Amino acid sequence: MGLYFMSFILFAVGLYGVLVKKDLVKIIIGLTIMGYGVNLFLILIGYRREGLYPILEKGRAAAAMVDPLPQAMVLTAIVVELAVLALLVSLAVRLYEKYRTHDITKIRRLKG
Amino acid sequence: MEREEGMTLIVKTITRFTVWLILLYGFYLIMHGHLTPGGGFAGGLVIGLSFIHLTLAYGRDFVRRRVKVELMHALEATGSLVFLLLGLVGLVTSGVFFLNFLGHGEPFTLFSAGYIPLLNLVIGLKVGAGLYLAFYYLADYRPGEGK
Repeated sequence: MGLYFMSFILFAVGLYGVLVKKDLVKIIIGLTIMGYGVNLFLILIGYRREGLYPILEKGRAAAAMVDPLPQAMVLTAIVVELAVLALLVSLAVRLYEKYRTHDITKIRRLKG
Repeated sequence: MEREEGMTLIVKTITRFTVWLILLYGFYLIMHGHLTPGGGFAGGLVIGLSFIHLTLAYGRDFVRRRVKVELMHALEATGSLVFLLLGLVGLVTSGVFFLNFLGHGEPFTLFSAGYIPLLNLVIGLKVGAGLYLAFYYLADYRPGEGK
């Protein structure tokens, strides 16, 4: 139970970064930390006590493994997070070219 | 004083020794993807990171002169195209999309598991080339400059 709670704390740290920080790069880092918290939580759901890694090897029974389904899903989620991160960073680069700053309180012109 | 491109001599020397090991480790992860943790995505990331490592240590033009961006685009497109073709082969031969049409072989050996190593290989190609391209365009691309 404590481990679940720690993944929530990790998510809250990322949410704090997104809501409070004013620098675009710090906001993007906060978003990725939120993603890590969610991934960790999903992996922990698939944990089984005394379970080993879910890979077949010679002379090992299939019963003593942790659940491999959340791990496959989290692998997909990591790929999607990488794509989202690339998109966010490219938007930040374009904003920096236009405004010469990463401070979101100074990026407020609607046009021009 | 004109600045030399890239980082200092120390970083360049260490990079010359380690970048081949990183590339080799990426290929190892891809080839053993059906036996051990790793596989196409993780191995492709390591391969892409070796190119990014070279770019960071030696400067942009060093890699750009040796590895053309068009080649990377072609590799990335080839990866997804071959993945689709491997799925279509199963559809044509037996009517099931993504059927494992090769023999399974003996389990726990390097050449086994049918076409899964091939799928890992093309995924590794696509991820490695795609990651390097994302880095390249984020670091280098300026709008209104050439193509």
